[in-house]
Amino acid sequence: MQKKLKARGVASAIALALFAGVNTYPATAADKELVVWADETRGPNLTKVFQAKGDWVSGYKITVKTFSSFDALKEAVDKATDLTGPDIIVGANDWVATGAKNGKLAPITLSAAVKSRFTPNNFFDLSYKGKLYGVPLDINNVAMLYNENLVKSAPKTFGEMVNFYKANKTKLGLKAGLCVAGGGMSWGAYSVFTALGGSAYTMKNGAVDVTKAPLNPTTFANNVKTYLLGSNGKGNGFFPATDAGCKDNYLAGDVPFAIIGNWEWLDYMEKGFQMNLMPVPGVKAGTNGNMFGSVSGAMLTTYAAKHGVEAGAKDLLVNFFASTAGAVAYQAIELRPPAEKGAQAKVEFTAQVNFGKAGSKAGVPQIGAILNGTTGSKSYWDVLPAYWTEVLVNGKDPKAEAVKLNDYLNKNLQAGAKDL
Amino acid sequence: MLGKLSFVLPRLFKYAFLAIVFAILLMLTQSAFAKKEYQISIFLILAMGLIAVTYLSSISIPLKFFAPGVLFLVAFVVIPIVYTVAMSTFKYQTGNYISKEQAIDRIKLLGTAPDENGTTFDVVLGKYNGELAILASDSINKRYFVSTSNNKLELNPIDIGIDENGVAQTSKDFNPISVEEKAKIDREISVTRFKFENEYFIMLEGSSTGSVVRQSYEYDQNKDQFNNLITGDIYKDDGKGNFANTANPEDILQPGWRAPIWLSHYIDIITNEQVRGPLFSVFLWTVIFAGLTVLTQFSLGLLVAIAMNKKIRGRRIYRSIFILPYAMPSIMSILIWGGMFNTEFGAINTLLGSEIAWFQNPNFARFAVILVNLWLGFPYFYLINSGAMQAIPSELSEAASIDGASPRQIFSKITLPLLLKIVSPLLIASFAFNFNNFNLIYLLTGGGPRNELDGEMAGATDILISYTYRIAFGTNVQDLGFASAISVVIFFIVAAISLYGVRKSKVLDTFS
Repeated sequence: MQKKLKARGVASAIALALFAGVNTYPATAADKELVVWADETRGPNLTKVFQAKGDWVSGYKITVKTFSSFDALKEAVDKATDLTGPDIIVGANDWVATGAKNGKLAPITLSAAVKSRFTPNNFFDLSYKGKLYGVPLDINNVAMLYNENLVKSAPKTFGEMVNFYKANKTKLGLKAGLCVAGGGMSWGAYSVFTALGGSAYTMKNGAVDVTKAPLNPTTFANNVKTYLLGSNGKGNGFFPATDAGCKDNYLAGDVPFAIIGNWEWLDYMEKGFQMNLMPVPGVKAGTNGNMFGSVSGAMLTTYAAKHGVEAGAKDLLVNFFASTAGAVAYQAIELRPPAEKGAQAKVEFTAQVNFGKAGSKAGVPQIGAILNGTTGSKSYWDVLPAYWTEVLVNGKDPKAEAVKLNDYLNKNLQAGAKDL
Repeated sequence: MLGKLSFVLPRLFKYAFLAIVFAILLMLTQSAFAKKEYQISIFLILAMGLIAVTYLSSISIPLKFFAPGVLFLVAFVVIPIVYTVAMSTFKYQTGNYISKEQAIDRIKLLGTAPDENGTTFDVVLGKYNGELAILASDSINKRYFVSTSNNKLELNPIDIGIDENGVAQTSKDFNPISVEEKAKIDREISVTRFKFENEYFIMLEGSSTGSVVRQSYEYDQNKDQFNNLITGDIYKDDGKGNFANTANPEDILQPGWRAPIWLSHYIDIITNEQVRGPLFSVFLWTVIFAGLTVLTQFSLGLLVAIAMNKKIRGRRIYRSIFILPYAMPSIMSILIWGGMFNTEFGAINTLLGSEIAWFQNPNFARFAVILVNLWLGFPYFYLINSGAMQAIPSELSEAASIDGASPRQIFSKITLPLLLKIVSPLLIASFAFNFNNFNLIYLLTGGGPRNELDGEMAGATDILISYTYRIAFGTNVQDLGFASAISVVIFFIVAAISLYGVRKSKVLDTFS
């Protein structure tokens, strides 16, 4: 009796297992299916676009896999294998160098006609060692917004903003003069850094000028001393060393100027703010700080070749992501400034237009090979926030710290330029 | 009948349960196998074997109780430890993630170089005399040709059909293939090299563009080296996971691969000043942090427990309030504290009327970390101490009191020593827990402040585990191999503390 039961038990186990196994065969990027990975905002929007029109590449089914967050997407990309990886990743430009080094991204060559649909600077972000790894999707940049309830007209110089803050700090209960609400103290604060005479690299005739040092420590430090420091040698309160609380305080009307990102403009409009966007004015009238005009990209993976859909994936990049029709359809939902020129001409929202104007006036390419470099043991992303902290908070000598800053940036510039 | 049913039913239930377990494990095995995770497949098969032997035979009754625990212990403790130890002996970092075979494959894929002008052609894919071919157009220079992998035939514009963009669509003997067929032969068209000029050939970029390239790197399997066909440079396996230029070892081909470097990471920890220096200071702070945390949490918990041990009005309400920080999710508390410590807009500076840069100054940041951890942890010690104090016989205090001892003497000579004896294993466990208290550090200070301009690698509040995380995942260059080596070191430290705690508490004595 027990033996019979045992045999039946084992038999049912195997039957159930086989049934379960057959029905749950792991999903992989099957042949003739193009798999696109995207984050929690881009994923659903791309899905909608492909549901509305799915024949961007005839003969292939396009599937979008959405991840719960940008970090979740990055983690999945890090763990992707030949079998599980996507054919196209929609992600940040600074993934390019790492993705190429790790053999996850594959290069693509675009025809001159396709290239002409983009500003040449856009390709810097998606290139590594002379090869292009994707097509630009949308532009990420910041711009300075001023609160028209506090400030009557657009400031013309950096000093004008500082003077306004000093004159009205107590009267209006201002918590800061200019703060970084979007992009953080390195990416977002680049506008302030450059408005005061600094830079991570300079461009000359569309190429990086390796002969010019990123900054002149004396000039930069003098500007920092003049505009940002108080009598105690620490920050005068105009420009906080951290971005914490900036957005809330601007929205509450306690800060007259804020650097905001083009992905968050709706939050400000909902609170009734006009899109008075402009580059951060420089120390002299007519000059201004630069902002990184980086692009997010749709990147080709090496997995596409493994899945036997490389040609299809390249066609999707060109026919959809790099086309006017594709960019218009996508950005109608995503509402970011498109990188594709034809689509740029068709954007509807004032904020998108004004971010674009600020970007074209003061945008510089974001070159990951230089900015992410750690030849001097620290990258640009590490050292600029450290400068603000050491000088504005800890009261260290702005010139001595600027010399160190320049040293790191110059080492990374020289090394990174070789990878372009 | 009833007897028969009572025999059959439990067995039926047992076999049904086992059937479901086997089904799930088989399904996972198949899934792991399909994803080429062979080690996981083997483990699952072995697990099924152990379960079958244990529950379908009478080989050992104790094993029936231990088997699930043993399996989970192996899966989630032993294997990760073994894997971490193994990885600590590898160069496993950004640029060196994949296997050597995969790296060679990728370098081959990247081993072409475009011509000087980056020439591309509009192409139509088709068959020419039965062979896969492209009909290529240079609409600006009015140049058209058909190319297969072996031949290239220039065409006269009058012999071809051109569309409105000047791109050739048809030609004699050239039959375009349908989009469906293109999709079917995607793998083939992506690797076909269509003849062009001299050493240059055309490779497809999708199905409508072809780019002119030449082979730049060639793999010599016999010599296990890459040859640069343009410069003549030779790239050999450098034994550290990369093909390096023999003339300039700094010049390496990417990607590299996971390569065994044995004890190099451990040797670095000991001998490399740039590694050892920060690591030692982080270790020192970790010990101080864990020690101070235990001391402050225990002291405040004890103080509150003593106070709450007295009969005071509203004692129950006070007790509930004191337990609140423990009841709230710690992640939420930490983030709220983080906001309160903000220099410009935080509640603490506003209340104090100060402008303290809590998280930018090393000492203030350390103080903040200890303070927040005190808030999070003292209710635990309050509960423990309250319970432990109940366990101390009141006769001892009464006798001492009759003998003339003051309350302070009773506390220091009787209550505290007895209390410490009871709670010392928990103090040691708390020390070990805080040694690895990643959440607090990561969410509150991120390990900072660190003066990047002075080249500091470790932050003032970094403990070993947050420092390890930073090395492994926190920067552009992720060094999982080195992080694994530090993890192994931490493992031995925590294991030693735990072993000491177990011995001290003599927990295992009850089993022997």
